[in-house]
Amino acid sequence: MSENLSELAGRKDFEKNLFEEFGKAAAKTGTLSSDDLERLKEEFLVGKSSVFGAVSFYDFLKPENKGKKVYVCNGSACLTAGTQPKLISKLNNHFSKDEIGEMCCLGRCHQNSAFHLDGKNFSGNDVDEIESIKSKKKNTSEKYHVGSLGNPVLIVPSPEVKDYYTIFKDCLKRDAVELVDELKKSGLRGRGGAGFSMAFKLDSCRNVKGETKFIVCNADEGDPGAYSDRYIMEERPHSLLMGMMIAGYIVGAKYGIVYIRGEYPESVEIIQNAISELRNEKLIGPNIFNSGFDFDFKVIKAQGAYICGEETALLSSIEGQRPEVRVRPPYPTQQGLFNKPTVVNNVETLANLPFIMKNGGSTYAAIGTPKSTGTKLISLDGHFNRPGIYEVDMGTPLRKVVDELGGGFRIPIKAMHIGGPLGGLVPVSKIDSLTVDFDSFAKEGFLLGHASVVCIPENYPLIAYIEHLFRFTAHESCGKCFPCRLGSTRGYEMIDKARTSDYKMDKALMNDLLETLETGSLCALGGGLPLPIKNALKYFDDELSMYFKL
Amino acid sequence: MKTAYINNESFPIQPGDTILKLVRRHFGKDFVPTLCDAPNLDPFGACRVCSVDVALVKDGPAKAQASCHTPVIPDSYIYTDSERITRLRKNIIELVLTDHPLDCLTCEVNNNCELQTVAAKVGIRDVRYPEGKNHLDRKKDLSHPYMTSDLSKCINCARCVRACDEVQGEFVLNMAGRGFDSHIIKSYDNNFFDSDCVSCGACAQACPTSAISDVFESKSIVADKKVRTICTYCGVGCNLDVAVVNGKVKSIQAPFDAKVNEGHTCLKGRFAFSFYNHPERLRTPLIRKNGELVPATWDEAYDFIANKLTAIKTEFGPDAIGGISSARCTNEENYLMQKFIRAVIGTNNIDSCARVCHSPTALGMQRTFGTGAATNSIIDLQSTDCTMVIGANPTDAHPVTGAKLKQFAMKGKPTIVIDPRRTELARYATYHLQLKPGTNVAMLNMMLYYIISDGLEDKDFINSRTEGYEDFKKHILSFDINDLEKITGVEKELVRKAAHAYASAPNAMSFHGLGVTEHSQGTYTVMLIADLAMITGNIGRRGVGVNPLRGQNNVQGAADMGCQPHQGAGYLDSYDPEINAKYSKFYGVKIPIGKGMKIPEMYDASINGKLKALWLMGEDNVQTDPNTNHVIKAMSNLELLVVQEIFMTETAKLAHVVLPAASFLEKSGTFTNGERRIQKVQNAVEPIEGTKPDGQIIVEIMNKMGFSQSAYDPKTLLEEISQIVPFFAGVKWDELGDNGKQWPVLPDGSDTEILHTDTFKRGKGKFQVATWKESEEIVNHGAEFPYILTTNRELEHYNCGTMTRRTGNVEILTDDVLLINPEDASKHLINDGEMVCVISARGKIDVKAKVTDEVKAGVLSSTFHFPEVRMNDLTSSISDSEAMCPEYKVVAVNIRKSKGKYKTLINEM
Repeated sequence: MSENLSELAGRKDFEKNLFEEFGKAAAKTGTLSSDDLERLKEEFLVGKSSVFGAVSFYDFLKPENKGKKVYVCNGSACLTAGTQPKLISKLNNHFSKDEIGEMCCLGRCHQNSAFHLDGKNFSGNDVDEIESIKSKKKNTSEKYHVGSLGNPVLIVPSPEVKDYYTIFKDCLKRDAVELVDELKKSGLRGRGGAGFSMAFKLDSCRNVKGETKFIVCNADEGDPGAYSDRYIMEERPHSLLMGMMIAGYIVGAKYGIVYIRGEYPESVEIIQNAISELRNEKLIGPNIFNSGFDFDFKVIKAQGAYICGEETALLSSIEGQRPEVRVRPPYPTQQGLFNKPTVVNNVETLANLPFIMKNGGSTYAAIGTPKSTGTKLISLDGHFNRPGIYEVDMGTPLRKVVDELGGGFRIPIKAMHIGGPLGGLVPVSKIDSLTVDFDSFAKEGFLLGHASVVCIPENYPLIAYIEHLFRFTAHESCGKCFPCRLGSTRGYEMIDKARTSDYKMDKALMNDLLETLETGSLCALGGGLPLPIKNALKYFDDELSMYFKL
Repeated sequence: MKTAYINNESFPIQPGDTILKLVRRHFGKDFVPTLCDAPNLDPFGACRVCSVDVALVKDGPAKAQASCHTPVIPDSYIYTDSERITRLRKNIIELVLTDHPLDCLTCEVNNNCELQTVAAKVGIRDVRYPEGKNHLDRKKDLSHPYMTSDLSKCINCARCVRACDEVQGEFVLNMAGRGFDSHIIKSYDNNFFDSDCVSCGACAQACPTSAISDVFESKSIVADKKVRTICTYCGVGCNLDVAVVNGKVKSIQAPFDAKVNEGHTCLKGRFAFSFYNHPERLRTPLIRKNGELVPATWDEAYDFIANKLTAIKTEFGPDAIGGISSARCTNEENYLMQKFIRAVIGTNNIDSCARVCHSPTALGMQRTFGTGAATNSIIDLQSTDCTMVIGANPTDAHPVTGAKLKQFAMKGKPTIVIDPRRTELARYATYHLQLKPGTNVAMLNMMLYYIISDGLEDKDFINSRTEGYEDFKKHILSFDINDLEKITGVEKELVRKAAHAYASAPNAMSFHGLGVTEHSQGTYTVMLIADLAMITGNIGRRGVGVNPLRGQNNVQGAADMGCQPHQGAGYLDSYDPEINAKYSKFYGVKIPIGKGMKIPEMYDASINGKLKALWLMGEDNVQTDPNTNHVIKAMSNLELLVVQEIFMTETAKLAHVVLPAASFLEKSGTFTNGERRIQKVQNAVEPIEGTKPDGQIIVEIMNKMGFSQSAYDPKTLLEEISQIVPFFAGVKWDELGDNGKQWPVLPDGSDTEILHTDTFKRGKGKFQVATWKESEEIVNHGAEFPYILTTNRELEHYNCGTMTRRTGNVEILTDDVLLINPEDASKHLINDGEMVCVISARGKIDVKAKVTDEVKAGVLSSTFHFPEVRMNDLTSSISDSEAMCPEYKVVAVNIRKSKGKYKTLINEM
């Protein structure tokens, strides 16, 4: 991260953003021309290498993306279901090999098969209707189950916009400190993975002096298998937007930025429409409800880099820098976007704020467990009989989720990968030991994370799955810290070699590698990879031992 | 006091401590190994080799933390070498070695490689990973005259990228790609030569391996010795570490502990040293015989000179002789030069090249403050809230200070640039007041007008520290702001905003360069800059003041040492009988009291036959002084022209005697930089055969002419100087140390970072008024020559290029160009790169056009680094009304597309 580049990127007004300009310039051909680079580096007073280096980072901007027309999902759920080779062979009838690219998780894990065409997502089966997609007749519709156990907060349909935003109107009448107190009472913890106290984060940003502050919503839901944030953005957009406005009011921020992954084109459109709705209703802009409080939104569409889900990388991304993970301190609340105090929060976390403000923190805290209050959205993949998005009270037994909500497994399953690629690999034998909350998962050596569930079928080789995890990390590593940049690739190479030759891995070396990644990595990508690998080595030794030296 | 435990032993914490800082303070630099950390860069946290275990209780559960960016938690327990940390470091290095060539024995940095050192320390014996992808086949980049890269050696620590950004303020280097494929690029993945690299070498110095280096292999350890000295180019005064092998300079690096440059320098300081043993160096004295300069012995030369000078002195009196000293030479040499002219020749006809650059600064600041020197120090940039840069292009002309100013501006801190050109700094400035050349006085009056009329003056400061304010105020308020707006061509609202930014900043610091002084109203402009500082109370503390950016390495020193007719060593009035008696007593001979001539007066006197002999020490007046034909005429009319030089310059070609001098790398003494810092110049190599240090030459001629002066030795000379120059009272060679001392140096040896803290040198600060007046040049020639040509400098070359054109710099910037606005270019059908004929009332030249909107329509700009173009054929003899500094910055010219041989010349290319 360059403090200079952050500052220069921030010199333009809120409307003009270098990263967005990259996206616009690449829209025609899939990458930027040398004229585009020259124009942008002049306009933003940055270097040639600044723009070249940033552009080359992103899957959908880099020169290799030129000419790509269709993208096949290569996320974990599509992978374990084994559906994609067939999809690709069908697409080969319509596109040349060079026109077919990959996207990592389109969030249609409930279908276990998906592709992206002309800026829209489709389920795998839609490939048979490719002509009607091309002629814009076919829409992007999908169906998945939505349900709950306990006290639903997020999936409850919201009233008409005007009525719904009375919650915000009431907030404006209260002091920010009071609202922080409400949040403290609620015990709300960040749903992005780390489980950090929301009240603490907002309060520390509120206490930093600064004319300009930002609320950034991390809607870069990159974890393969997770689509709960997508659900909120597409089905409950106003919970998120109002949550950001409340957060903005608390910390004194006038700007909200929703950073949505490029793999979710429908989310981008729906959020943009919801913002227009707010603008039409004069619920955003200057002096909202004559309160003296100004707030406005900007939606930024990402360009294909999993690491942008890491909050500091995300900030660098918005600034048009290479999204490499930053060191902390400074924390974003002190020096974040454009070097200004910034709160970065996940979609689901922010979407809880309207409920908390409306019903009070104590009401929220009454749901769930003392340490993990409230509810949690869970994404179930298509290996369940009833795949979909479910909201459960924190502390709900995992067994209930699997059986009662998911309706059990469609085919024999040996493990569930819960919480994204860096979450734990839970063998089915452990289902009864777990309840859906941060602490139960941590205690058993897993991670609740984003509570996405990808099933590993009985017949799917675990060695292939852990190879996938290493390859995913190697592909997505920002390349900054040495352990992750080198370790993820070397790990992948070792497993690949063991799978494809008579090479046997050295257990001590693998352990050293995992320890190096876990203790040495700068962020949770390299640091988190060892957890599912270690789970696999622990619970599936009989399947994996053949790849290691005796 | 808060403490923390390192390996169970308690140590005090300082605010802002990272774990690494704390550990290093108590256990030394190498106790915890690091790879991506560098002394002048922000913590980055990439290599993770510096990880340590941190526990909240003794031997309690610990978390591994990268020590470089993790703040120390009070009372925490830091374990630097736990078993797991030792293992972690070893495992990381093992991973690094899976993608690094193992050819240490043939590597440039063998035994000076940080990776090698860390690998040895953590004890790698084996790389256990099977062979995989790697980057060992990357090709070397040898495209550039100085910079080299071999990225197969790169470990992705990004120190080079950060040095480029955080130190130099450029974005030439970056990473591209991601993950395992992430790799260093230059600009658009170009080679060094085609990239936008400014060749500062910061990346090479930052690189822990030999992935980026330079053609001099500055990181190899083959040097016999390293000598610390001071750069000979600009007035920043960078400290240099000169590596010497077999009595020859091998390479140069910048010491990190240097206060002035903190491990940084520019391509001139770091790389442009090879002139020193260039084949064209003068190696023997030359005497003109039958119209030809022929080799002679030193004795022959001295006899010739002594006889001639004595004869002239006898026939025409001492005032028929003059001397021009050099701001490129040491203090001691300048002191000797003026002593020679005054005490041995017996005239005050002594001047120096400060005349043509900062003489108005000295005079203007003396009239307002009482001292003609920078009031503050460059380090004050860390404490200021606003900078104002007037008529200076520091990123080219003072690169290290320029980089600091650019860093300040890039951070979005209020920066005002007043310049007719959109300089690099102006691109990043908050306010760029792009005025018409020659209207500085009107512009500063506008600022003063708004400060007064909007009530932004610092009344307390004005009342307690200054005089003459009421008259001054009346004068300023009498201006019609709309008239001034028209004169400067800058919208008044923008000027108002800039004035407010300067006046309302808690601390505002101004800098100025030759764009202020080289005007007919140069001294007046300097006084107005001083007025601005006084009216806003920006004097006498950290982060404020008036800070001239000195063009030459020792322009401050040349003036300090008395190389001007009206002031002797220490600025004492040479025309005052009491002072004269003091000097006479000190030098042991009767010192003249009659008025001496300044450089332009000497030229006129020569042409009029009054000046018969001129002695030049290290100056190429023909190429650098304005109105070349006039200068040549003056030089040619002399009976004796003696030139001390290192090369056969345009001026030396006209000399009767040429004396071969030693370069800065071959001699010792002191230079005083732009912030009054007296620093030690120490000879790295012996003078090349046949040459002598300038000081020694002067000493020898003094003795030859019957004045007893001991051999040139900086230590004894400083002892002498300290007895006559009041502000050198406590300067002693042995006490200058690595970083020198800023004058005034009191008898007890303590020095001074900030001037005028309680009172001004002259008591109260004096407000001085000035009213804009159109330059005579425009009045007389503007109608016939409607364009204004101004002159500037480029980073790669130094002044007339005598030295830099004899280094690799000439491959980077090959010729002078004329900057011309696209509107003007199209009016005259001139395309980029075509030759343009530029005509002034004095002469005409042909120069290559560079079409750019850096200059406004109607304004042209060019350099005079190359003798072929003879830019100074165009410039006029008009000079500053007060200090006689020539007006290089306003020349009335006309342009047309070149015809004849210049046209064909370009067509053949």
